Amino acid sequence: MIFAFTAFLACPRGEAVMSFSDDRAVKRIKDTLDFTTGIVLLVVSLVLALYLVPNYIGEPPILQNPMMSPRWLPNIVSWLMLAFSVLLILQGLLVTNKSENDERKFIKGSLRRFVIMVMALLVYVLFFETLGAILTGILATVLLFLAHPVRTWWVYGFAVAFPVAVTLLFVNVMNVPLPLMPY
Amino acid sequence: MKKLISATCIAACGSALLVSASITTANAADWPTKDVRLVVPYAPGGTTDVLSRRVADLLKDALDTNVIVENRPGAGSTVGTGRLARGGRDADHTLLMASPGHTIGAAIYPDLAYDPVEDFVFIQNVIDIPNVMVVPASSPYNSVVEFIEAAQDQNMAFSHSGVGSSIHMSGELFKTLTGSDMTAVPFAGSGAALPALLGGDVDVSFENMPTVYSHIKSGDLRALAVTSAERSPYLPDVPTLSEIGEYNLDQFVTTAWFGLIAHNSFPEEGFEAMQNALDEVMEREEFLNFAEQLGAQPGQVEGEEFKQFVIEDLARWQAVAEQAGISQ
Amino acid sequence: MENLNEVLQLFLSVDNFIAIALGVVIGVTVGSIPGLTATMAVALALPFTFSMQPVAAILLLVGIYKGGMYGGSITAILIRTPGSPASACTLLDGYPMAQQGHAKKALKTALFSSVIADFISNIALIFFAAYLAKIALNFGAPEFFWLICFSLTIIISLASGSMVKGLLAALMGILLSLVGLDSVFGSQRLTFGNYNLMDSISFIPLLIGLFAIPEIIEFYRKKVVPHIKAKASGAGMTLAELKRSLKSIVRGSLIGVIIGAIPGTGATAAAFISYSDARRRSPNKANFGKGEVEGVAAAEAGNNGVAGATLIPLLSLGIPGDVITAIILGAFMVHGLTPGPIMFQENLSLIYALFLGIMFSSLILLVVGNAAIKYFSLIADIPKSILFPIVLMFCVYGAYAVNNATFDIWLMLAFGVVGYLFNRTGIPAAPFLIGFILGPMFEDNLRRSLLISNGDLSVFVRGPITWFFIAITFGSIAFAVFRFFRDRHAKANPLGNESPS
Repeated sequence: MIFAFTAFLACPRGEAVMSFSDDRAVKRIKDTLDFTTGIVLLVVSLVLALYLVPNYIGEPPILQNPMMSPRWLPNIVSWLMLAFSVLLILQGLLVTNKSENDERKFIKGSLRRFVIMVMALLVYVLFFETLGAILTGILATVLLFLAHPVRTWWVYGFAVAFPVAVTLLFVNVMNVPLPLMPY
Repeated sequence: MKKLISATCIAACGSALLVSASITTANAADWPTKDVRLVVPYAPGGTTDVLSRRVADLLKDALDTNVIVENRPGAGSTVGTGRLARGGRDADHTLLMASPGHTIGAAIYPDLAYDPVEDFVFIQNVIDIPNVMVVPASSPYNSVVEFIEAAQDQNMAFSHSGVGSSIHMSGELFKTLTGSDMTAVPFAGSGAALPALLGGDVDVSFENMPTVYSHIKSGDLRALAVTSAERSPYLPDVPTLSEIGEYNLDQFVTTAWFGLIAHNSFPEEGFEAMQNALDEVMEREEFLNFAEQLGAQPGQVEGEEFKQFVIEDLARWQAVAEQAGISQ
Repeated sequence: MENLNEVLQLFLSVDNFIAIALGVVIGVTVGSIPGLTATMAVALALPFTFSMQPVAAILLLVGIYKGGMYGGSITAILIRTPGSPASACTLLDGYPMAQQGHAKKALKTALFSSVIADFISNIALIFFAAYLAKIALNFGAPEFFWLICFSLTIIISLASGSMVKGLLAALMGILLSLVGLDSVFGSQRLTFGNYNLMDSISFIPLLIGLFAIPEIIEFYRKKVVPHIKAKASGAGMTLAELKRSLKSIVRGSLIGVIIGAIPGTGATAAAFISYSDARRRSPNKANFGKGEVEGVAAAEAGNNGVAGATLIPLLSLGIPGDVITAIILGAFMVHGLTPGPIMFQENLSLIYALFLGIMFSSLILLVVGNAAIKYFSLIADIPKSILFPIVLMFCVYGAYAVNNATFDIWLMLAFGVVGYLFNRTGIPAAPFLIGFILGPMFEDNLRRSLLISNGDLSVFVRGPITWFFIAITFGSIAFAVFRFFRDRHAKANPLGNESPS
């Protein structure tokens, strides 16, 4: 497998040499997003390898085989992640991204809409047990309808009908308990 | 917007009505006054879950109310049990199907937020499933003593269904009592452990009776002993471990027990109603048939005795967990 | 002859037919709701089977199982929310197809390939159970270890775009799968003392979070695009497409059968293996992941091929390979039957009656599936501003219902954010999922093998099964490397052979 990676590394290098000689004024970082992702993952894997794995994974005092240790695989995985995030940083520095870019980027919409969506998500996580499934369901759905404005008034009926119907379906027909009502 | 709010209110009231409608009325006893919840601290589909659903189904008739099974799995059984221990608004109508996970969990999980004995009332032990010490048919050992003698100078592997299962802990208990050299090999559940046992990859297991019963009957596995206090009527020729009389095995009496417990604020009338209902359930033919299929016996102890039993069970597993270095 | 009579008597009862049909309908419905899996449906239906005749009871559960396996693909295709874990792979090509207005084609493809795979799986169960059961028994920890190693190589073919990102995703998946109590020593791994994490991260909230939530977040982050009403039904699957995919379907079904016969691997892995195999062989490789009919077909064939085959170890050995078969085992026991070799001696007619019913369930699946598609494909016409809030509600309810815990809603949202970031940075989610599923199996079987052999490494090459899997593991890595160089070579010399050096 290591083969594939050295080969991978070799590939961008070829292109890089060319572009550097072509035009020195070209931006040094070819793909900022890859570069930043690489940096973030590098930090994450460093934290993992040096802090989390040794401190948050218990190891029994006696081990017959190092592979038996609960830390063995997490260690390997963290260091591999470290290696690959370095590769990703290099890739970000050296390779221009061609096809993927258009898929990854989109035009952002209004902030208001996004904020309302975050609120709706928070309604679910914060109030699900206290207010019950039905009320949080109605509240969040209405919020989301307002966020990406649904202008047909009767559609708001769904915002009430669905949470009620689905909750009752879960609880009464399928015997899957959900928190019902605030008492 | 106004319309919306009123619609919301209507829906809320409507569902509130529905909820109150499902509350049982017209019951002479003071308990139950509403649906009874039976918490299963394991995921759907396990032994505890299947058993609980069977019992819930029968309890429904005996209590003349709806019994809702609720799975709250996680961290052995400690997540579900911990939630019950916290009490809450329905604690007077909530039961929990406790199993060896209750005591073993308390022995191996660090810093539990509850006391496995004092925070609960113990209603009734419903069913006892013995574990069976089985070896593959190809194994050279024909008796427990032969096995232990071989295990003094040769490492034996025993399979189990996961750290902290009664199968695992029984193996560890056997190891400590007899001083055998044994290695625990974990599997993800009894189903996954069986092929290793049948294929001879592991030397022995202390499996639950229902998992291995058909293989014992078909001759693919050989039962060396059962772990219960008395011989099992399903395997009358197989001795109990305590019968062996050597290697401290007289102390080896464990079963996979299942019993109903509740939060310690559980009302007195509920306790009585439950005991009566359970007495009725445990005499039902469906229940006895079910127990027979599991190779199990109806539970023997209730109330204070049951509590005493749990205390002893807990002490034993704490000792084993400490010896085996499982508690972290 | 007497036997045949008895079999028919057991099978030809109205109850059985109702049970199968009801089971499949329940399975398809519940399976299509995110969070409510086939496993849950089977567990919840169990109490209702207590009072039924044994054959009808088992057939009801089997029907739910099969319906659920298929049902999961419906929402995977339509709203990028896998109804059950095994359909996560279907979504890779199914959802892009739906986005392009081919929802109905994707749904039909999934149905046909499910039914064909189901049928093949049943045939395997009925005629080759004894042989396949033998394989299952010879499949110990070392054999399993190499099977997992081989399965891990499919990450290479799933990492579309950038190999580095794909592998990073897989590593993150493995890492998260290790959270929880250590399976050998019971010590805590990265749980930070949180009890909700001790049984490892729940799979269903992860799945919903990773796929459905990012789609919703993105929708509310993007500039408003007017809803374009695609032509509702769209076209179904053409015969030519079916013919083209047939090889992949059959191959996928056989992969499913083998994986299903080995206890403990599961349908999700089978779907991914089948998918990557189809992709490796397909002439339209580049179109995989962007809405390829064959991709949907291969994934569904893989996961439905498992359904019948998991009954092989159950019926012939009494070994439940997954949770669903464990519940079905419970149902057998409630009715006083013990699956295993003895049942074949004592209750042969009952087994044959079951086989007939199981065959019949494939047919019912076709009928029910067709009806379901008719109504479900209407979902593709609902404007997203109305659909997504309701999808989110289902996701939240479903995530909660898995463990009855609000923690799982948090988990789902956290993975939603992770999935969103993955999309933004071009990290593929599929390798992450594979890593998450296979990581623990890899580690457990490695350690299990070492425990069984007392640390002797020769256990890893102990028999023909291990040799076979070692060979195909390294073969598939070598093939990937070879192809990599070939493609690079082709890129370096765009003129191909015209400019030899």
